[in-house]
Amino acid sequence: LGRVRAAELSGAFPASQVMAQILKDMGITEYEPRVINQMLEFAYRYVTTILEDAKIYSSHAKKSSVDADDVRLAIQCRTDQSFTSPPPRDFLLDIARQKNQTPLPLIKPYSGPRLPPDRYCLTAPNYRLKSLQKKVSSSAGRITVPRLSVGAVSSRPSTPTLGTPSAQAVSVSTKVGTPVSLTGQRFTVQIPSSQAAVKSATPTTPTVQNVLINPSLIGPKNILITTNMVSSQNTSNESNPLKRKHEDDDDYDNL
Amino acid sequence: DRQTLVAVLQFLRRSNLRESEEILRREARLLGDDLGAAALSPTGTGLLGTAGGDAESAGSDALLSRLLLYANAFAVGGGVVVEDQPDVSAVLSAYNQQGDPTLYEEYYSGLKHFIECSLDCHRAELSQLFYPLFVHMYLELVYNQHESEAKSFFERFHGDQECYYQDDLRVLSSLTKKEHMKGNETMLDFRTSKFVLRISRDSYQLLKRHLQEKQNNQIWNIVQEHLYIDIFDGMPRSKQQIDAMVGSLAGEAKREANKAKVFFGLLKEPEFDVPLDDEDEEGENEEGKPKKKKPKKDSVGSKSKKQDPNAPPQNRIPLPELKDSDKLDKVMNMKEAARRVRLGPECLPSICFYTFLNAYQGLTAVDITDDSSMIVGGFADSTVRVWSVTPKKLRSVKTAADLSLIDKESDDVLERIMDEKTASELKILYGHSGPVYGTSFSPDRNYLLSCSEDGTVRLWSLQTFTCLVGYKGHNYPVWDTQFSPYGYYFVSGGHDRVARLWATDHYQPLRIFAGHLADVTCTRFHPNSNYIATGSADRTVRLWDVLNGNCVRIFTGHKGPIHSLAFSPNGRFLATGATDGRVLLWDIGHGLMVGELKGHTDTIYALRFSRDGEILASGSMDNTVRLWDAVKAFEDLETDDFTTATGHINLPENSQDLLLGTYMTKSTPVVHLHFTRRNLLLAAGAYSSQ
Repeated sequence: LGRVRAAELSGAFPASQVMAQILKDMGITEYEPRVINQMLEFAYRYVTTILEDAKIYSSHAKKSSVDADDVRLAIQCRTDQSFTSPPPRDFLLDIARQKNQTPLPLIKPYSGPRLPPDRYCLTAPNYRLKSLQKKVSSSAGRITVPRLSVGAVSSRPSTPTLGTPSAQAVSVSTKVGTPVSLTGQRFTVQIPSSQAAVKSATPTTPTVQNVLINPSLIGPKNILITTNMVSSQNTSNESNPLKRKHEDDDDYDNL
Repeated sequence: DRQTLVAVLQFLRRSNLRESEEILRREARLLGDDLGAAALSPTGTGLLGTAGGDAESAGSDALLSRLLLYANAFAVGGGVVVEDQPDVSAVLSAYNQQGDPTLYEEYYSGLKHFIECSLDCHRAELSQLFYPLFVHMYLELVYNQHESEAKSFFERFHGDQECYYQDDLRVLSSLTKKEHMKGNETMLDFRTSKFVLRISRDSYQLLKRHLQEKQNNQIWNIVQEHLYIDIFDGMPRSKQQIDAMVGSLAGEAKREANKAKVFFGLLKEPEFDVPLDDEDEEGENEEGKPKKKKPKKDSVGSKSKKQDPNAPPQNRIPLPELKDSDKLDKVMNMKEAARRVRLGPECLPSICFYTFLNAYQGLTAVDITDDSSMIVGGFADSTVRVWSVTPKKLRSVKTAADLSLIDKESDDVLERIMDEKTASELKILYGHSGPVYGTSFSPDRNYLLSCSEDGTVRLWSLQTFTCLVGYKGHNYPVWDTQFSPYGYYFVSGGHDRVARLWATDHYQPLRIFAGHLADVTCTRFHPNSNYIATGSADRTVRLWDVLNGNCVRIFTGHKGPIHSLAFSPNGRFLATGATDGRVLLWDIGHGLMVGELKGHTDTIYALRFSRDGEILASGSMDNTVRLWDAVKAFEDLETDDFTTATGHINLPENSQDLLLGTYMTKSTPVVHLHFTRRNLLLAAGAYSSQ
């Protein structure tokens, strides 16, 4: 909106006329009128920052007045700080050579959605629920979920496709106190014994766990790991679209 | 490290630390056969012969130049391309100063006079020297802090340059001090790389004879230093031929640069049974027999049992296997293809234009899925908006709570997991922190990529409409991104002058394609996913091999930054569009320009071939869509030995014949073009009220 030809802009102030001239010299003929104000502001801020820095350098060097060297030094320091430029060509060619030497990695078949390790994804929950009550169960191979009555929070029960709804509590390993509340039903998850073994490798803390340390075992992420764990051991395939979708459930914010 | 050793040696010599130099040389055991070979090289003898002028400076100059040659020889011996030499040249160029700066104007005007007085047939070729010499000499003066000489040099000669270099000259005019150059990577790269010129042997002899005269050896040194002259045997080129090929920041492409074998053929489609179902309205199947209710084999794949020699082996690069959903998609594709309209000069496609109204957010990127069911817009306010083009609304997966309530055994479980309550025609994706400059749907329609000025490329899920991954690597604006035609891989190119190949399950890039002198503005996969084309602001188009990251083709000829690329469906040709309003056509196999389509008056932002490659559609900022006859443009290609050996092209002035139609929009620049599976042309752009 409001792109105006340069000729139509009449600078009321000499500074804006100078700025308009600079823009014209750089070949920019169409711009919004606010651009001149922004450029003037930038120029003013830049020059004052440099001069202030130069004053500091000159007083540090115990000089009586600011001279060109101080200003040059100030510019140099500021450039390295705020106006970074892309890496130089030789550096790029070097890292390219290194990167391009490694052969392309083979693609694992049937591995569901191909995403980087969870640490590099944005799929972890970015919230943590406060626990009011913790129920600890010591049954091996089951996951205990402490029951909470926190308002409208609804949980992500573990893999519905795997188990059949039953009246039994879903157990989360006691090592991670997962504060997740359940809506009506609870599920049993048949976890192969190897999974429990894996879980025992995780760090043990009886208190409410920081989401980041063990995102995989906390509430929403429950599904992620169990799905993966089980599917990698199960020979039976759930249909691929379903598998994918469960993983993507994680970020779905239903609060 | 060899390069740095040479640079250190040179520095020691310059500082007159002879003993240290000897010790280092002995310890590094550097010299030997390589030196001998370098001394015998013709350019080496040429340089050593010129020792006129100021004895001391020329002597050290010759020495420096010789060392540069040695460095080059080492590099070649080490199996590294000479081009990747900037370590040494960058370091050495700080000390290297050709001739007396105050006399630069004399040198240049002397050369100018000579060229202008030469024979007509040679003049066009030798005039190619003006621009690179002008820029290099100017940059030398600036780099060595001869500000006033630089300024007067610029004043005197900048008007003589060709019109298509005006943008560069404007940038140059703002570079008056050495510190200014520090931030401008493009100019620094230009300074340390050699500008490539292609000159016929006769013209070159003429030039060499003149410059090797005693009084001209300074400029001869400069020429040797900064220009790479690719000599060919044959007729000197005419101005027209030269003008078609020049314009890039690096000069033209050396002939060796375009000699590597490129597998431009398509990968074989997998064979699988295609079930005919009852709703199929085809009267006959392909053999002309009456329809039989039995599955027929996919005839596309089984046409030729032999391997196409130009096609890459199936497992040249790892590709994801076909899932069931992909197979279903292919079946749909083939059914649609059967109903496809055959386009041609008599049968032009209908064009359906999607205008983005009220896009005060600034529409910066558009993509449409292959089956034309969804359209995405990337905006300057950092949002990504997805619309459904068909009446079917966009649905996301239900929350886990609701998912637990559904009947998992039912047949339509895939529909039941979708949430009807939040179904809508538009979904907005928030996440970027800067304008979104590129968007790309995955072929299986599960993912969406977007790249932005904030330096990241984001992967979004189209089932939950949430962001899954942010790929960080470019730390500077990313201008374009695209999924591979088989999914899994994607390419991105940005301000840091490199293009990167990623896979969705690696958080770091798999390949880095470095070599452009300026920003990479456009990136496209070849249909066989083995090659990537990148267009850049340095006005070249490069083709890269995914397998090993090598640059296999360099195409020069555009006079402005390239903003659109399109591969023909058969994989043999590439069409490129730039800010100069021309569409250039390239034969990938031979590495030559085969056509030039003039007509647009502003930047071409969209290029697309029709599904069978008969029509090329181009959309531009001048608010038009133009259709060109691609069959005719590629039809009389002779694989002339002479042509391929010398790289001469004789482009016919046939843009008017090839133009099939020009369609104006109501002041809406065309940002994206897409042919549906039935060859209906969809176009998209944002209405701008000017």
